[in-house]
Amino acid sequence: MAASALLWALRAARQVLPSQTRSYYVDWRMLRDVKRRKLAYEYADERLRINAIRKNTILPKELQEVADKEIAALPRDSCPVRIHNRCVLTSRPRGVKRRWRLSRIVFRHFADHGQMSGIQRAMW
Amino acid sequence: STSSVLSTTKDGSTASTESTTKVASEDGAVETPKQKLLKMIGNMKVEVTTKRKFQQLKEQEIKKQDTNKQEGWDRESSTFQNTAEDIQRSEPLNPELVRAASAVASSFPHRREQAESELLAQLRRHEETTDKQRRGGIINIRNVISEMAVKKQSPAQRSMRVSNLMSLEMDEDGRRIKPGKPSSHSFDSGRSLKAGRRLNIFTKASPETENAMRTESLPTIWDLEFAKEIATVTEQPPRNGFEEMIQWTEEGILWEFPIDNEAGMDDGAEFHEHIFLEKHLKDFPKQGPIRHFMELVICGLSKNPYLSVKQKIEHIEWFRNYFEEKKEFLQE
Repeated sequence: MAASALLWALRAARQVLPSQTRSYYVDWRMLRDVKRRKLAYEYADERLRINAIRKNTILPKELQEVADKEIAALPRDSCPVRIHNRCVLTSRPRGVKRRWRLSRIVFRHFADHGQMSGIQRAMW
Repeated sequence: STSSVLSTTKDGSTASTESTTKVASEDGAVETPKQKLLKMIGNMKVEVTTKRKFQQLKEQEIKKQDTNKQEGWDRESSTFQNTAEDIQRSEPLNPELVRAASAVASSFPHRREQAESELLAQLRRHEETTDKQRRGGIINIRNVISEMAVKKQSPAQRSMRVSNLMSLEMDEDGRRIKPGKPSSHSFDSGRSLKAGRRLNIFTKASPETENAMRTESLPTIWDLEFAKEIATVTEQPPRNGFEEMIQWTEEGILWEFPIDNEAGMDDGAEFHEHIFLEKHLKDFPKQGPIRHFMELVICGLSKNPYLSVKQKIEHIEWFRNYFEEKKEFLQE
């Protein structure tokens, strides 16, 4: 009993980490985007195969119509087109650089503090 | 052949040949009828050291020929005394062994009684040695150590030995390949831990506890949790950058260098399993648009280096199931 209590206390004390730990998504729009990404990953294979049947000149048209209906029946969030690359830290939908997944404001903030590796203020 | 061998021994050839031929004839003659008993004797013989065996064979020769033609055996008198002691021993031998000795001796055409007496003497000596080992349970270490002598070795020899042990093979990357066990520690001052006589100082761990450990059921959830807690509490932060990198490599955060392009991707399948996928098309119709379509699918899969063989087979199976379901639509 005492040993387990001691261990628990030690673990709680050890969990004070210096880096930022986020336990929530920044906002609901970010959460919805996360859901869309998960579903798109799940249904990726099926969508690929059904589309292979649809975009075809060899198979009969009836089959392709059936495939059309099938793909429309899949959940709407499973299509990858609905994913939008938002800023990872602020969930800003616009002005996001793809390489760093950050919005321009956050990027500038970190770069000025020297926390972006290899980034330097341009001067020429 | 045995008689001819024995006749040559009668002429008095050298000691070693006679002893070896005698041993050979013993083993050869009795194999067919009394195999078990002879095997017992044979097994017992293996434990005897060579020095003692030579002593015994010498004694037998002395009894047979009644001559003193041996060279440089200073222990003649002492062996005579030993044989006298052995014969006077009160403890009787195992009756089975006695029967076996008599059986072996009976197979000899000549010198039956002599052979029997010599075999029995040998057995008695062997029993004596095993008794001594049994009685000597608690060994006085002082006696043991006083007998041991330190072997001197020149430093050149020592360094050569150490360098021979640590093999100087180099991997391609310059990393040294070490032999399996670091047994170099056991070779200090020319001694080894494994060679040499056993001192019988330590007792082996009882096998009961080992069996009890093994028959335990699978570790419970509480045991796993406890183990996890201990691991998390005892882990120290890395002392330097190297340890940090080691930790990350073990977790999988850092790749292993030199970078292996196929890390985590190699499923161990040969190239022909990836390319020749026609065998999976058995259940499809051989003519028609579906076959055409599937052949295109297979052509595309064979050029795909990113999927494993299993995934490709699953792909083809999905199509098979799909077309099975849509059969009604296909029959126009």
